[in-house]
Order: sequence, then structure tokens, then C-alpha cells
Amino acid sequence: MMPGKVLRGGVAQPLAIALFSVALAGIATLVGLERQPRQYRIDPPVAAALDDLRLMPTGIGGAPPEVYFALDKPYETSAYDLSQGKRLYSWFGCANCHGDGRGGAGPSLLDGWWLYGPSTVAIAASIRNGRPHGMPAFRSKMTTDQIWQLAGYVRTMGAYSASLAAPSRNDDKHTRPAENRAPAAILFNEEPAPSPSERGPPS
Amino acid sequence: MIEDRKRPPLTDDGLDDSVLERHLSQTWSASPGFWGALATVDHKVIARRYIVTAFVFLILGGLLAVAMRIQLAWPEARFLDPDRYNQIFTTHGSTMMFLFAVPVMEAMAIYLVPLMVGTRNIAFPRLNAFSYWIILIGGLLLWISFALDAAPDVGWFAYVPLSGPEYGPGKRADIWAQMITFTELSALAVAVEIVVTVFKQRAPGMSLDRIPLLVWSMLVMAFIVIMAMPAIMFASSTLILDRLVETQFYNPAEGGDALLWQHVFWFFGHPEVYIIFLPAAGMVSTIVATFSRRPIFGYLPLVMAFIATGILAFGLWVHHMFVVGLPRLGESFFTASSMAIAVPAGIQIFCWLATLWLGRPVFTTPLLFVIGFIVTFVIGGLTGVMVASVPFDAQVHDTYFVVAHFHYVLVGGAVFPLLGAIYYWFPKMTGRMMSETLGRWAFGLIFLGFNLTFFPMHILGLQGMPRRVYTYQPELPWAGLNLFISLSALVLVSGFVIFFIDALRSWRSGKPAGPDPWSAGTLEWATASPPPAYNFRRIPVVEAREPLWSRSEGLAVTKGLQVDRRELIVSSVVEALPEARESSPRDSIWPFWAAIATSLMLIGSIFTPWAVVWGSIPIAVTLIGWFWPKGTVEDTS
Repeated sequence: MMPGKVLRGGVAQPLAIALFSVALAGIATLVGLERQPRQYRIDPPVAAALDDLRLMPTGIGGAPPEVYFALDKPYETSAYDLSQGKRLYSWFGCANCHGDGRGGAGPSLLDGWWLYGPSTVAIAASIRNGRPHGMPAFRSKMTTDQIWQLAGYVRTMGAYSASLAAPSRNDDKHTRPAENRAPAAILFNEEPAPSPSERGPPS
Repeated sequence: MIEDRKRPPLTDDGLDDSVLERHLSQTWSASPGFWGALATVDHKVIARRYIVTAFVFLILGGLLAVAMRIQLAWPEARFLDPDRYNQIFTTHGSTMMFLFAVPVMEAMAIYLVPLMVGTRNIAFPRLNAFSYWIILIGGLLLWISFALDAAPDVGWFAYVPLSGPEYGPGKRADIWAQMITFTELSALAVAVEIVVTVFKQRAPGMSLDRIPLLVWSMLVMAFIVIMAMPAIMFASSTLILDRLVETQFYNPAEGGDALLWQHVFWFFGHPEVYIIFLPAAGMVSTIVATFSRRPIFGYLPLVMAFIATGILAFGLWVHHMFVVGLPRLGESFFTASSMAIAVPAGIQIFCWLATLWLGRPVFTTPLLFVIGFIVTFVIGGLTGVMVASVPFDAQVHDTYFVVAHFHYVLVGGAVFPLLGAIYYWFPKMTGRMMSETLGRWAFGLIFLGFNLTFFPMHILGLQGMPRRVYTYQPELPWAGLNLFISLSALVLVSGFVIFFIDALRSWRSGKPAGPDPWSAGTLEWATASPPPAYNFRRIPVVEAREPLWSRSEGLAVTKGLQVDRRELIVSSVVEALPEARESSPRDSIWPFWAAIATSLMLIGSIFTPWAVVWGSIPIAVTLIGWFWPKGTVEDTS
């Protein structure tokens, strides 16, 4: 071996091996982060179990069904489910009241204020059962996993730091930064959001 | 190294052969050991790595094809789920096009062009080493993502909006786009090396009309790469920008255009076919001449046909887009230009046939593969003329007819000549012969298996079976043919298995070949098999198109090259008059580091745009290391 000729010095070798393996491992991990098996049709028993929201007596928040944890909370972390949620957001007319997420007739979904708590299960309950002051119930219009996909999307659409799984822009008019650009950080970091009391009572 | 400069330079003038060989091999050989292997810039070593890597990707891509055939063998099979099937056909296509076909053709050029033009190394040898590491890492990127269930699932041409930000969730399409960037980078690097090697490093006397046809075809291929690859580089970069940072290139609502993708993709994608086919045409020309035992018939028409193909290749991309809704006049124009390319293709076929007809052909395995090529490629060419017509194309677009067509032209047009070329040049690359018996078996099974597998796909296509479906219903009349195709694929696979067994066995223990086992005419056979690190003891002087056939008493050679540093002859473009002695770079580990740094930047840019900013720092560092003067004798002139 005459590495000195090309490398000048012996430290370069172990360093090189280390860097190369780190690079390969890096590729594997980064891609692994995005590991996202897609399931186009959910098993009916799983869907039934997902419907079993354990809400508090007030109906505001609660605990997700056990199966949600067994599935590793897919609806908040998988790129496919988030993008399906985004599609459902436009298909079911959410934008009619909530606009592009900044609200309109309905409350904003980007500002970090959640009238019924920030948990995904609360949002799923809002979608499924509806809420006073105009939020309709979608129980009879969407399947259970669609409700969860939409809830997962709504829960993360205003993230201050975007996850790698966050959806990108739509092929539409550009009205605000896409989810993977962390719209909340860009839109609302400048000034504090108005408190919810300024926008009317929650119920 | 300063004392080196004081000594008068040692030239090959008057050295006897054994002393000369000792000096040359000391100057040109790579350092032994792992680091020497990483640092080598020997075009033969790098080409061998390229070829082995490309064939590994061929095996992987082939296994995916087998998986698809199992899934499609009967209706409503449950072997693969639809999502996995999408990933498999995308990875199959991308692997075969970007990680097998293009690199293996370039690899043959990297190996053969410097030998055939009689020089000691390829131009820009460090860039050559860099290009190999880049394509290796690009291939790993695709296949690691496949292993992690995150492979691209948008087809090998990744049309927007399917691959765009709205409909391509996750990082799958980004991985595809950056894998493309890796392969383009590597292909562009190799193309530049080939052009410079052919134009400036030919042996004295090898004027343009004495260049071997393989070298001509590689030269035209290199020019096509240089003109076509920037289009796909634009495409893949804008796609990833659209997806990552919300640019609007492909968003019609904001003034972008989804059709733009198809135009830039096929502006690259159609020339891509000729990037793969032209080197194969060069291989065919070489093999046909050698085994017909006569110079090629119609050298000038063949060269002109290569060049014409290279030019026409850029004028027919729209025939991939006939059903997308384009102006009628445009469609007619591209129908005409698509049919026009049959003219140079016809010239080539008839020149090869005439060579065979006029010579005394010896039907060895390489020539058998060439005959197989002529048959399958003509069938593929004929269906090509059929789909060039708009009304017909509108019927069979996106059906198995198209699948059959492009496998006939790509496998028939490139893989058959390539396998023939492997049988032909294997003795040169390894010093050992491949088995003639196994070769005939391999050819027979591959030829039979290929036609039995792909011909029925024409019929399936006419019966309406669409591409890219993961299954079909039992009521549809496709089940019988699909089962037949899947069984025939086994024949095809067994042929390839025999080929690989033969190659591995012969590499270890084949019959020693000697410098020129086929009594061929071109310069690579004038040196030992495998060639020494310095290729030729003395650079030959070329006086005819087949230098080894025209002289019985051995080649004339040049003298006066320095042997204590890496040096080669630079010659004039047209007449190859010697112009200068030029140094050729020494081994360097920096291309490897530069490739690692570039890869980190490209892969990082899948996840965050900041990777481009921070990733440029290690790239700058490695490039500075690469170009920093090391004070070697090669730096001094």
C-alpha cells in the first residue's frame, strides 16, 4: 500500500471509511424516515376499531382508540395519508368555510388555536360529529379512515416546522405557502395571533 | 519531486522492450491495495467496474421483470399489491434505462475507445473516475429506497401532474428525480471524455476516415448525450423545485405548463434511445466485419447514417405524445420525421447484410447475437414505423403493443449486440475466452425466450391490454397469452443465467486468449490481453482503416514519448498529425471524495433546499483538493 502518494498521511484512511459508511447509512436513514407503506383499502375490522373514539363527557377532547397507537399514528406521519387528507379537504368543501386554512366563516386552522383542543382525536370528532355554530357532521359522508386522514392533515397543516411527510403545493392558485414550507411559521411568526375570544364563543 | 526535474527526461527512444515495459508499468500502474483501487484513473479498470455494475443492475432489473410476470401470469393474482407493483415497474424501467443501458454503453466506450484510437488513457481520467462513483451512488439511492418501500412509483418518465407536488406524495418522485440527476452527471462527464479522446488523442495517421466504426458510433453517441442530457437535467431539477420549494414550472394555474414536462422529457427521452442504439450499431459493425473476414461494406454510408441518426434523433420526440392533443400539422410533421429515421436505420441494416453476403462469415457466438439483433431489430423497427402513424398510435398507445415494440428495439437493438460484444471483447478484457458451447446455448435460449415472451405482447396490445396494470379480470380474454408470456420469460431468464455462468466461469478459468484470438483488424487487438496499464508499449502509427489487416510484418510505431511520467500524444482533429506530447493525470483519491460530496448535496436536496447551500462547501473543498497542484512531474509542462 502506498496511500501516502495520493492521500498524504495515514489519518485519511479511517476517516474515509467512516465518512463513506456514514454517507451510506445517512442515505438509508433519511430514506427510512420516509418509510411509508401505502394501504389503499383498510381492513374493515381496523376501520371499525378506529371509529371507537373515547371522548370526554363534554365531547371536546378524548383518547384515540387503541388501534390508532397499534398502527403507529399513521394519519399524522405518513406522507400518503396526509396528501389524501389534503385532497379530502378540497373534495368535501372544507375551504368553503375555512378558506385555504386561514379561516373565513369558520375558524382558522393555521393559527395554533384549537377550540376543542389540539389532539387529532378531537379534530376527528369535530369532523365526524360536527360542532355547534355551523360545523356539519361528516359521519354519513366519509369513511372512517377518510375522517382520520382529513383529521391528520388538518392537525398538521399549520405546522410551525414542517415534517418531511408534509404535502407540497397543489396545482392551483398560490394563496399561501404549502404545508411543507411550514405556512404557520411564515404567516404568523410576525405577530401574535388574536385570542379566540375576539372571534366569538367556542360553543 | 524537485530532483526529478533536474534529471533529463527519460524517453522511450532506444530503450529495449523489456526495459521500456518496466518503466511504463511503473509509471502507469495504480498503487496496490484498497486506496490505490479507489484512486485509480485507468480507463480499463474504471470501465470494468462500470460494466460489472451495469450488469448487476441488469440482473436486479430483470428480477423485477420476473416479479411482474409472476403477478400477471393469471388474472387477479395476489403476488404483489398495486402499490408495490407501481414501484416495481418504475424501478424496472429506470434501472434498465439509466443504470444499465446507458452506463454499459458508455462503459464499453470507456474501455474500447482509447484502445481503438491507440492512446494510453482516456481524456480527463479523473473525471472518468468521478463519473463512476456518481452513477454507483445514484444506483444505490434508487435501490436502497426500493428496499425501504419508498421507491418511485410514477413510471420511468414520471409525467407531471402524477409525479408533481399534488399527486406524488412522499419523497418517491424526488428520489427518481435525483437518481436521474446522478446518471446525467455521470453520462455528461463520460461524453466529454469520449469527444476529446476521439478528436485529440488518436494515434498518428488515424485520420477521420480511418476511425473504427465503433469509435464513430461512440462519438455520435457522446454528442447526443451532450445535447440531450441538459434537457432532462432541466426537467428533473424543475420537478424537484416544484415539489420542494413551490416553484410553478408545471402548475397551469400559475402560468406553468404540465405539457412542458413531456416536451423536455422526450426531447431527452427519444435521443436516449439512440444513445443506447448507436453504440450497439458500432458493435455490430465491428463484429460483422471481423467474422465476415472482410472490411465493412459501405464505411462512408455507415458513418453518415450514424451522424444522420444522431441529428434526426432530436426531431421526433413528439411521437411519444401523439394522444396528448397537439396541432394536426405538428403531428404530421413528427410522423414524417419518425418515419424518416427508418432511412439511416435501413442503410445500416443493408450495409451489414452486404458485408455478410460478400464475406465468408464464421458463425461464432458474437456473430450469432448479431444475426439475432438484425432479426429482432427489424421487427421492432417495423412496429416503430407502425406506431409512428398517428391513427394507429392512437389505438395502441399505452397498451402492450407499445411494450412489445420498445422491448424489441431496446433488447433487440442494444442487448443482443451488447451480449455479442461481451463475447467478442471478453478475451481482450480478461485474457480468457468464453465458452463457445455455452455461448450458443445462451444465444439460443435468449433469442427464443425473447421472441416467445415479447411477440405475444403485440397481440395482447391489439386486444386492448393496457400497460402498467397490476392485474386484470378473468372475464377479459388475456389470461392465456399472459400465462404463455410468463412461462416464456423463464426461457429468457435461463438464457441469461447461462450467460452469467459462462462469464463468471470463463473469467476464472477460461482458455487463455492471446492478444488477437479473432484475427481482427482494429488496434485494440495489437496489444496484450488484458492490456497492460499503459495500453501500448509504443504508440502505433496508423496507415489504414484496419491497421492489423493491412500489415503483415507488424505495426509502425512512434518514438520519443517520455516514460518517467504519464504522457501521451495529442494529434490534430482531421488528419491526426501528431501535435504535442501531453501529460496525463496521475491517480487521485479526490474524484472519489468529490463524488461523495456531490452525492451528499444531491441526496440532501431531496429533503431540504438548504442542502444545496451547505452541501456546496464540501464540494468546493474536494474540488480544491482535486485541482491543487501536487508537484508531480505531470504538473510540470
